[in-house]
Amino acid sequence: MTASDLASHEWWERYKRVVNADPEMRVRGHQHFEEDFVVDIDGDRFLVRMEGGRVEEVLPNPGLNERWAFGVRGSRTAWEEFVREVPPPFNHEIVASHYRTAVRDEPDHLELTGDNEAIFQNLRAFQRALDLMRVAHNDGGS
Amino acid sequence: MSVEDVDAVEPIVGRYVHADIGGVDHRIYFEENGPEDGIPLLCQHTAGNNCQEWRHLLTDETIAEEFRVIAYDLPFHGKSVPPVSQRWWTEDYLMTAERFTESIVAIADALELDEPIYMGSSMGGNITLELADWYPDRFRALIGLECAAHSPGFYIDWLDHPHVNTTEVNAYACWGLMAPQSPESTRRETMYLYEQGATGVFKGDLYYYSVDHDYREKLDDVDATRVPLYVVNGEYDYLTTPDDGRETAAGVGEGAVAVEMAEIGHFPMSEHPELFNAYLREILADVTGDRDEALPDVLTPEDVGVEMTPRPATE
Repeated sequence: MTASDLASHEWWERYKRVVNADPEMRVRGHQHFEEDFVVDIDGDRFLVRMEGGRVEEVLPNPGLNERWAFGVRGSRTAWEEFVREVPPPFNHEIVASHYRTAVRDEPDHLELTGDNEAIFQNLRAFQRALDLMRVAHNDGGS
Repeated sequence: MSVEDVDAVEPIVGRYVHADIGGVDHRIYFEENGPEDGIPLLCQHTAGNNCQEWRHLLTDETIAEEFRVIAYDLPFHGKSVPPVSQRWWTEDYLMTAERFTESIVAIADALELDEPIYMGSSMGGNITLELADWYPDRFRALIGLECAAHSPGFYIDWLDHPHVNTTEVNAYACWGLMAPQSPESTRRETMYLYEQGATGVFKGDLYYYSVDHDYREKLDDVDATRVPLYVVNGEYDYLTTPDDGRETAAGVGEGAVAVEMAEIGHFPMSEHPELFNAYLREILADVTGDRDEALPDVLTPEDVGVEMTPRPATE
């Protein structure tokens, strides 16, 4: 994939297939991941609706009728680094990226948003779902 | 050699030793391999983990030929159960710099180790500054992996909270501390070890790591001419970066050396044992004087002859 394809309709369709075929999202309780989350890329928002560890749908530009517990926001540059096959240090995983933003106040890393309790209640499944963006983007890898 | 290339019965031996820590008897589990008269290499695990993190170093034939490699479980970790004389269940487990250094020295004393090399990662790396400051004559050298003067922001309430699955959260809060280049199997094993920690112990350790340990204004107190200090940090360690390590070593001054390990992260010994053991051989050769040239600023896989395995298309 080229960086410009990131978050296109086709990209999200492929992402949905990758998450829904991932064995780790089916086991160890991750099949109970039900929290919808928002991916914010330079202000463009996508609501990822989760149902039983599967992506039910991805809704661009969610409005006032929608609700979600948490999400991730960042610049397009940060997201493009995050989905690279071998991402650079500190943009290679969400907690890593968030730490450099929230604690070290560095620019161009991804940042967690929303209810921290809900994030930690769903940490691994959410983290895996984000890591699978890399798999979808590169047609493989983890 | 490959980390999988071991005999059917591994040479590691596990035993218990009783150590007096703060006037209280503690039953400490440790594992070792190597000649009895080899230079002791005392290995400290990371916060909330246990000595199994070092299993691939304990079976490294080259290192265990020269060094007596010893890895132990701190009290409350792994097989070192809490002290039976204490009502430990009535208070939160909390690690401090004083308690940590006292434990390490007590274990070295109980094992009657003569001039051991101390090596630890993460909180085990940070504590090299206190050990150098407070116990400079007890060790031959100190190797601080993932070491910095300060590592704030990781004393997190959610790591010990009834509304979350602490087993999984304690582990996967650390997932991104490892390099994506490290093999999937050993990264997963590192997380598996994290899932074995007792309630509150990881968070309690992180009190030392992120709150009690702050040497930013005290690096001048550390005299590394009395005990050589190696500050060795992985490229992908977002908590204590290689630049943090360089600043720490520069702040200590003479006797302190900073080395960056390329393409590895915060759990080098368990996330990529083959690469770490190769890096460590270079550092140990410097400790023993068997290395002619100064250590480079950055050690790379090419420097130590480790071929990085391309990741499979899907994992």
